[in-house]
Amino acid sequence: MNHAQKAEIFNKDEAKVNWHDKALWYVREKRDTAAHGVKGWEHLRDLASGIKAHVLSNLDEYLITFEKNAQKNGITVHWASNAEEHNKIVNKILADNNAKKVVKSKSMLTEECHLNPYLESKGIEVVDTDLGEYIVQIAKETPSHIVLPAIHKTKEEVDSLFQEHLGTTPSNGNPEYLTHEARKHLRAKFLEADAAITGVNFAIAETGGFVVCTNEGNADMGAHSAKIHIACMGMEKLIPKEAHLGIFLRLLARSATGQPITTYSSHFNKPGPESQMHIVIVDNGRTEQLSREDFRSSLHCIRCGACMNTCPIYRRSGGHSYDATIPGPIGSILSPGKDLTKHSSLPFASTLCGSCSNVCPVKINIHEQLYKWRQLITKDVKQPFIKKTILKMTGKVLSNPKLYGFGGRSVRFILKYAPRFLVYSKLNAWGKARELPKIKNGNFDQWYKEKRKN
Amino acid sequence: MGKEEILRSVRKNKPTLIPLPEINLDTFNETIDLLANFKEKVALVGGTIKELSALNEIDREITKLFPNARNIVDCTKSSSLGTVSISDKTQPQDLEGVDLAIIPGAFGVAENGAIWISDDRFPIRILPFITKELLIVLEKKNVCLHLHDAYELLSKRDRSFGVFVSGPSKTADIEQCLVIGAQGALSLTVVLV
Repeated sequence: MNHAQKAEIFNKDEAKVNWHDKALWYVREKRDTAAHGVKGWEHLRDLASGIKAHVLSNLDEYLITFEKNAQKNGITVHWASNAEEHNKIVNKILADNNAKKVVKSKSMLTEECHLNPYLESKGIEVVDTDLGEYIVQIAKETPSHIVLPAIHKTKEEVDSLFQEHLGTTPSNGNPEYLTHEARKHLRAKFLEADAAITGVNFAIAETGGFVVCTNEGNADMGAHSAKIHIACMGMEKLIPKEAHLGIFLRLLARSATGQPITTYSSHFNKPGPESQMHIVIVDNGRTEQLSREDFRSSLHCIRCGACMNTCPIYRRSGGHSYDATIPGPIGSILSPGKDLTKHSSLPFASTLCGSCSNVCPVKINIHEQLYKWRQLITKDVKQPFIKKTILKMTGKVLSNPKLYGFGGRSVRFILKYAPRFLVYSKLNAWGKARELPKIKNGNFDQWYKEKRKN
Repeated sequence: MGKEEILRSVRKNKPTLIPLPEINLDTFNETIDLLANFKEKVALVGGTIKELSALNEIDREITKLFPNARNIVDCTKSSSLGTVSISDKTQPQDLEGVDLAIIPGAFGVAENGAIWISDDRFPIRILPFITKELLIVLEKKNVCLHLHDAYELLSKRDRSFGVFVSGPSKTADIEQCLVIGAQGALSLTVVLV
């Protein structure tokens, strides 16, 4: 199923779609308020974008420097070319230490690599500890948003999931009660964990350290109670200097949720006493994306989710209709680089309004890249017959003024006099849930000439 | 496998060197009341501020704020109420029942209410997270404007583990309803002296 078909399923529950749409727009508004409160916000975005572009142009050197400095501090660094290697490395660290119980904080990279099912197949228990991730884990689903993983679930759905998995009493979806029940359950999991897996928000070449941001404190609860901490990072997470965190941390939470900063911004530089710290640096298609000049800057992404919250298509179609680890506008420019055929409908899941590019804290020209992917996809991937034919006809009509004038007159005539079932037939996708505007006589050209005369 | 292959691929695919942008911090300069802004931001992120005229008032304040706290860890040596002593032998599991941890803050940040704490001031890293209630003691004069100044202050530190804490742990993962108290501390009190 393509994006439009999946979106159609999501749209069957109108009340839920309306809620989803409004809830995300509210987050977007909070982002605006937070951003407008910062002096020099646009300059921050310019700097962040410039720093990321610089890093990508010198990535090999920064990776080497980072590894060297991390090793100096007693951190073990691993390199994985792809998802399979990544999963094997993580499993080997766990196996070497006879670790059977793992707590994990949010990491889109491990989602991308499908780490959980791999480890589970090796007999390892993996518990996702971010509340949203925990909810989707027990529901056997995937996150539908990178910052708000369970945004597609109602509180009543969470309530019945918790009754089944945690033995909670029915509460009509009381968020406070459910959160505190999860807290109790997860605290026990933290304290008995053999290893903790976290993501990485930023890795600093100059110091060999890395930063993990959470609101819940789950990354720290895991990383500091288990004796083994494995941090998995996409290679593009590097920044040159620690001082640059000043720029990125000012942008991240404000863009993501409208908070001035996340509750915890944890700076890991050395393993704790009697503990191990590992970093797995992962490529998995990133160097290939680096080679594509038009799409390279998609690697600037700091995973704030602002483009999703603002996107009229994402808000009304839900994250799962993208069928990709990273949904929304940024996912729609990242995913085609991995599998053009599978994700060929994603760059079309956009109105090209440009709102995503306008809120992106690292100034990725997302809507322009969506347009560029479309150019490639229509060349490489077979398009539906009707779409192809209509676009071909439109092309001919638009390039010929006489034909255009005739076409306009005919369409106005047909829309006025043809019976409804014909006008609102299958060909009219616009008319599926909407009324067409009322047809008036004349066109713009006539109106303009008329005005010029007076 | 891995490293060499990745580096080879980066070298082949990266663009020509783009210079690192120059950062002019003047753009972000503001003349504001640092302490007033800091207090406002701590409240915004769900923390509580208590101002003391002298540090020796801290015991009275703690007894008032946390009348039921039994297991108290004090890392500031300013309170006599500490009941749990910890050392480098303490295991995370031993701290499961801690009601209150008192930790010294290095400095606060006016723009976001964050306070820097680091493991040279608390002997076990999990403490500020596993404790039920967290109390950070901060000197009023130690508040900087923004994160750029904060990283300047941090540049010479001995790097091990440190964290900016801004408010109590929280989540909005159930229908976007904000719930204070997720996996970390349930509350944050900032004592200003």
